[in-house]
Amino acid sequence: MSCYGFHIFFTKFTLSKCLDAVMVMGNSHLALTRTNKLAVIASHCQDSHFLYPSKSLGGGDGAADDVSSTRDGKYELLAVANSTIAAEIRNVLSKAEVRGNSTDTLLAGSLAKALCCILTNSHLVCLEQVIKAAEDCALQYMNFMNVIFAAQKQNILIDACVLDSDSGLLQQACDITGGLYLKIPQKLALAQYLLWVFLPDSEQRSQLVLPPPAHVDYRAACFCHRNLIEIGYVCSVCLSIFCNFSPICTTCETAFKIQLPQMVKPKKKKLKMPA
Amino acid sequence: MDEEPERAKRWEGGYERTWEVLKEDESGSLKATVEEILFQSKRRRVIESHGQVRLGMMRHLFVVVDCSRSMEDQDLKPNRLTSTLKLLEGFVDEYFDQNPISQVGVITTKNKRAEKLTDLAGNPKKHISALKKAVDSACVGEPSLYNALSLAVQTLKHMPGHTSREVLIILSSLTTCDPANIYDLVKTLKCLKVRVSVIGLSAEVRVCTVLTRETGGSYHVILDESHFKELLMLHVKPPPASSSSECSLIRMGFPQHAVASAMERDARPSFSMSHLDSGAGPGLSLGGYFCPQCHAKYSELPVECKVCGLTLVSAPHLARSFHHLFPLQPFVESPVEELQGSRFCEACQGELKDKSAFVCPSCRSVFCVECDLFIHDSLHCCPCCIHSRAAL
Repeated sequence: MSCYGFHIFFTKFTLSKCLDAVMVMGNSHLALTRTNKLAVIASHCQDSHFLYPSKSLGGGDGAADDVSSTRDGKYELLAVANSTIAAEIRNVLSKAEVRGNSTDTLLAGSLAKALCCILTNSHLVCLEQVIKAAEDCALQYMNFMNVIFAAQKQNILIDACVLDSDSGLLQQACDITGGLYLKIPQKLALAQYLLWVFLPDSEQRSQLVLPPPAHVDYRAACFCHRNLIEIGYVCSVCLSIFCNFSPICTTCETAFKIQLPQMVKPKKKKLKMPA
Repeated sequence: MDEEPERAKRWEGGYERTWEVLKEDESGSLKATVEEILFQSKRRRVIESHGQVRLGMMRHLFVVVDCSRSMEDQDLKPNRLTSTLKLLEGFVDEYFDQNPISQVGVITTKNKRAEKLTDLAGNPKKHISALKKAVDSACVGEPSLYNALSLAVQTLKHMPGHTSREVLIILSSLTTCDPANIYDLVKTLKCLKVRVSVIGLSAEVRVCTVLTRETGGSYHVILDESHFKELLMLHVKPPPASSSSECSLIRMGFPQHAVASAMERDARPSFSMSHLDSGAGPGLSLGGYFCPQCHAKYSELPVECKVCGLTLVSAPHLARSFHHLFPLQPFVESPVEELQGSRFCEACQGELKDKSAFVCPSCRSVFCVECDLFIHDSLHCCPCCIHSRAAL
């Protein structure tokens, strides 16, 4: 039994195509096994919002009656899921205000909510998928790492499907939890990539030929210049990383003990008197 | 010399009337009481964090396991030794999860002697395989606290000043056989700033009480196996650093993981330095971590480079310890009836079924019992607070 959580990020265009691909993927996932469950979360600059299952439906009974009379004979669960996602995203779009030109998103918060949702609903192996179109937000590093470690502890795999630019944070997340990271070369084929790479669950993946793991850059960035360094100095109190030795840590303001060379007392030499 | 704090012993207290806990309501059913008991078992005590106290993040811990005759006792199933070693495997895993740049060593004591099972190392696999093999060893004789502690101190006293030096003793015997005066050793331990804690499996022993009180550790005696596990897990969190520990800048390397496939022309297989330790024999492998200073190859991190002595870690290892530095404040418990607004948990979107919910003091979002437990144990950040852009 596996449970997927999706996250969708706002793209500048092709939002409807992206949603179409996600809905196809969601339907296939629900159709694979009866016990599969689905949750879809949209994450944008101010908040993250559960698109499906939606609170406003109150359990989905009311909507099911409306939709059960679909003309094309679609499985009701899939029809309900599609219509809920479409309605909720319209809701979110109309409520969200675009403040300035920010393209960052609050990924860590969405992942945290998804983790809690997964844990309360099922206790077995779970997968989480992230579809990303915006850039990383550096402020989120610590919270993001906390979320990744919590997922790793609970054996939840995080997969990432990146549309625009590479994301170092997501690469680390996939590497640490054991999921797949893929940067899509052609956005139009999003549905194909989703179905091919991300639909099979972890046991089946070992038998498929999938894209090779990306090279993850685990070098740390120094706190003073934000450069990636290979050898650095770490403060033993607050674990902040510096590229050069300095007598005081700028984060926690501890003075460090400096190893001074040993002072050698000059020995008094007896001067030889000239004969 | 010793000022014993006034503390009533258990037999000096009054009777515990455990039958009074169960109360019937008007119709004679115990449902409310049973629900209350279940709810309390779901909520564990959230250990109060110390707040703005410096913690010892780089820890050197020696675990001393008593392998004397009394460990064959069967009050812990199947016997005390097997149960202890099994719990220690879980402890080692959890310890390296919470303190990735720390080290652990295991010492056993039996037959009035002590010997090192594993040396101080940062790799959990070695310790776990050694613990698994030790299950078959025989338990004979009496333990020796003095010998075990002096063996631990021999290694710990050479450790640098900014690390915390700790010893955790699991003692089941009520006796100890020492070649010299143990109170002198206690004074030496105090000078060397070694913190000794004891978990007793039988009963309280006075020499352990003095030992832990003088060195600043904790002493507990277990009630049953789940209590034993709880007490062990108390030692996973980094302890507050002593005021005299030095703070220094430690030079560390952050190697890149070179992943090369056999298809590339430049890929050259090479030997990994970690095979010098294991008896598996040298193996050629294509990828690995190369030390930035001397380019020796290692297969996993964290490790101390054998060639140049540089400590090699990766950035996520340091990031694992950040939540100790910024602990999450405990949430306020409030009854569900008093909450305005929807009765949904903000994190998992489920309905609030229990009679009380937890409210985050800073963002006032409501969480259910399971989410609160998960947030404080594993997540260490409130899912709604991190939505505000002002938060780090």
